[in-house]
Amino acid sequence: MKKIALAGLLALGLTGCSSEDSQVLNLYNWSEYMPQEVLTRFQEETGIEVVYTTYDSNEAMYARLKLLDESAAYDLAVPSTYYVSKMRNEGLLMPIDQSKISGFDQLDPELTSLDIDPDNQYSVPFLWGTTGIGVDTADIEGDPVTAWKDLWDERFEGRVNLTNDMREVFHMSLRVLGYPGNSTDPQQIEEAYEKLTELMPSVRTFNSDAPRMPFLEGEADVGMIWNGEAVMGKDSMESLEYVYPEEGVIAWLDSFVIPKNAKNPDAAHQFISFILQPEIAALISEDIGYATPVLPARELLGEDVADDRASYPTRDDMVNAEFQTDIGDDALQVYAKYWEKLKSGR
Amino acid sequence: MLQSIKQQPFRAAVLMLVWGWLLFLVLAPNMLVVGASVMTRDPSTFISLPLNLDAYRQLFNPLYLDVFLHSLYMAAMTTLVCLLIGYPFAWALSHVGKRRQTLLIFLLIVPFWTNSLVRTYALKLILATNGLLNSALMSLGVIDEPARLLYTEGAVIIGLVYLLLPFMILPLYSVFEDLRQDVLLASHDLGAGRLATFKNVIVPLTLPGVLAGVMLVLLPAMGLFFVPDILGGSRNLLVGNVIKNQFLDARNWPFGAAASIVLTLTMALLIFAHRLSKRHLGEEGA
Amino acid sequence: MRWLSRSYLALVYLLLYVPILVLVVFSFNDSRTGYNWGGFSLRWYESLFSNHAMVQAMWNSLWLALTAATVSTIIGALTALALHRYRFRGKKVLNGMLFVVMMSPEIVLAISLLGLFMLVGLKLGYVSLLLAHVTFCLPFVVITVMARLSGFDERLPEAARDLGASEFTVTRTVLIPVIMPALMAGWLLGFTLSMDDVVVSTFVSGPGYEILPLRIYSMVRVGLKPEVNALGSLLLVFSLVMLMLSQWILSRSKQ
Repeated sequence: MKKIALAGLLALGLTGCSSEDSQVLNLYNWSEYMPQEVLTRFQEETGIEVVYTTYDSNEAMYARLKLLDESAAYDLAVPSTYYVSKMRNEGLLMPIDQSKISGFDQLDPELTSLDIDPDNQYSVPFLWGTTGIGVDTADIEGDPVTAWKDLWDERFEGRVNLTNDMREVFHMSLRVLGYPGNSTDPQQIEEAYEKLTELMPSVRTFNSDAPRMPFLEGEADVGMIWNGEAVMGKDSMESLEYVYPEEGVIAWLDSFVIPKNAKNPDAAHQFISFILQPEIAALISEDIGYATPVLPARELLGEDVADDRASYPTRDDMVNAEFQTDIGDDALQVYAKYWEKLKSGR
Repeated sequence: MLQSIKQQPFRAAVLMLVWGWLLFLVLAPNMLVVGASVMTRDPSTFISLPLNLDAYRQLFNPLYLDVFLHSLYMAAMTTLVCLLIGYPFAWALSHVGKRRQTLLIFLLIVPFWTNSLVRTYALKLILATNGLLNSALMSLGVIDEPARLLYTEGAVIIGLVYLLLPFMILPLYSVFEDLRQDVLLASHDLGAGRLATFKNVIVPLTLPGVLAGVMLVLLPAMGLFFVPDILGGSRNLLVGNVIKNQFLDARNWPFGAAASIVLTLTMALLIFAHRLSKRHLGEEGA
Repeated sequence: MRWLSRSYLALVYLLLYVPILVLVVFSFNDSRTGYNWGGFSLRWYESLFSNHAMVQAMWNSLWLALTAATVSTIIGALTALALHRYRFRGKKVLNGMLFVVMMSPEIVLAISLLGLFMLVGLKLGYVSLLLAHVTFCLPFVVITVMARLSGFDERLPEAARDLGASEFTVTRTVLIPVIMPALMAGWLLGFTLSMDDVVVSTFVSGPGYEILPLRIYSMVRVGLKPEVNALGSLLLVFSLVMLMLSQWILSRSKQ
């Protein structure tokens, strides 16, 4: 019995022995959204180890943070656009102490003090980007793809990739129908759903972890992709092009926020400052292909990146572009209902 | 009670530990799910009063009914394929020498030690457009163009069958083991042909095993949400995906809880059928 | 007829093992794309071991499986003994609850435990994972041990008690040796279930204690990662060694 009790104690007692000895920053971020090099350099400079946990949708991130509340130990998360205001309004965030952040004044003024977070009390912009159309030009015959509506083309049957993001997919469909991408009208949402069911036979996969992968694997030849993913994908597949659809791209801004139960907010502030250094910001932008809001970093970018329309669009590219906004819980439920129906297979 | 603790401290300790564990980690959580299913969805606190049956009503909304039926269809296909492969397999297995049987049973379990995710991933390597199966078929000249296998309903079913086949085989094997040779001989002596023996003797006697296998495959097949995620390209969702989405993404807890309860009740129904068939057979045998 | 059934068996085993074989072979593949053979190489093992988070997750998983299997064997054996030997109120309820655990869909178990842990404010991590894994392993251990006990001569412990042994002594000296093989089998089963689990772990793990399934899940979905092959092969080898070890111990204890 003694032995048994001992074994039991041992089992329970060893719980904390994983990695408590050194300082740890728990970063909750999109998959493949931070180069390993940056994490390594941060650890070398500060001695803080970054534990990188990933999610593939804002909903999942939000639910987990909200759900775990007390027990979550995430120190830093990266919600997109309107999720900042949503989380802020629900009291999920810790205010950011701007005196502890260096480099804030170098951010693009067009991307700070937005409606989602006036004066940036709770968020610091990390990267911004767009969702447009990826095309494997080597495998596409016929007219070039120029608009979202081209995805419905019969020749793409079984070759289309969509992001696994409810709002984005409906946004696209709503735009094709000429409605606002942030519609809250159940009638319009249903129409968008109907329109999407026509697309379903063409849809090969939903991928929001790495939308470039279905292209690289040869499973998809055309479809929704994030601009950074298209840039990354081009490294291994020259024929992958990024197209700004006529109906308008979906634009988003991802920001750092500190969850209110963060265990190590100091490290979180340190990490944000580290990322805002022009040199680091440039490194990130070059590595993962999204545009950095740190203005001096743009000077440091290689020409091929700075001139790449996929990463840094021209004004013309952004015509009709729309940011996602908070549509409220009721509309969200309508979307969710049609979304599951859509994905269930028919 | 106090006296019994004094008399038999060991017994009391054991019973307390067992009861404590089960009450806290089985009964309480299940009650929580039942409770959540009759509450109201709340965007900020997940669930709130008043109590109602909206979540269950929502289940019968044609939209979700469709999702459930499709999931059920894929699970049923999986079960059917498992049965078709597993039945003759278990029969053949029961005819192998005893020593080898142990080894063969053991070989059925070994794959489980590489995590099922890793095995699902291995299937992806095989099924992909430029994967092994396609290259093999193309170099053999069977097909000219790679077949689209990955991210289809078929791929999901293949994945489920691969992960769940042993759960069909093991109970079937145990009923074939119990199938006494003299019963078959008797049937033969009484003039029954092979087909008649199969239909009138073997099938009824192995029915409990079939039902047990169906139970162990059908319900898990509806819950393995990672299979559609990896092999189905997040299409062809299972009930498991719906429940997971309700809890982790859409935050409609009452609905997710109600779906879980319906899933559990389906299971209970199957178990009931299983018991009934066993009893029925027991009576006939006596 | 005989060769037909034999070749059928062989065919099904082949199908079951092809993916695992592919895994092992491709773990030595030098090619990056993962689909064609690029020569023999150990680079994926190297990159696996240089991935600190991955190695940590692997140890976490193994440690979790070892402890979960051990704890569930202890509690499961005690439960089986109690069910077999003692008369007490609510025995059927207890039996029923074990049955519920075994039969309820994994996903339901997962969300119900998540709900419980949130309600009592338990920090998600090693402890929550251990509690969950022990819970779903428990009924399988109980069944294995019960099966062993059902063929056991009741007069033995009675005799021991008549000779003045206490309940604890009877359990230790008479019952435990008898159920030893079942304990081993139950432990192995628990270890297997814990290592293989994805669904429950997805729900009840937290950022502080990451285990393999979650790591692999994000890796697999992000794309083809040959490191996963190396990892799977290592797990296979490790489990085979464990199994042979247990067989060896068992055969020695029989002698």
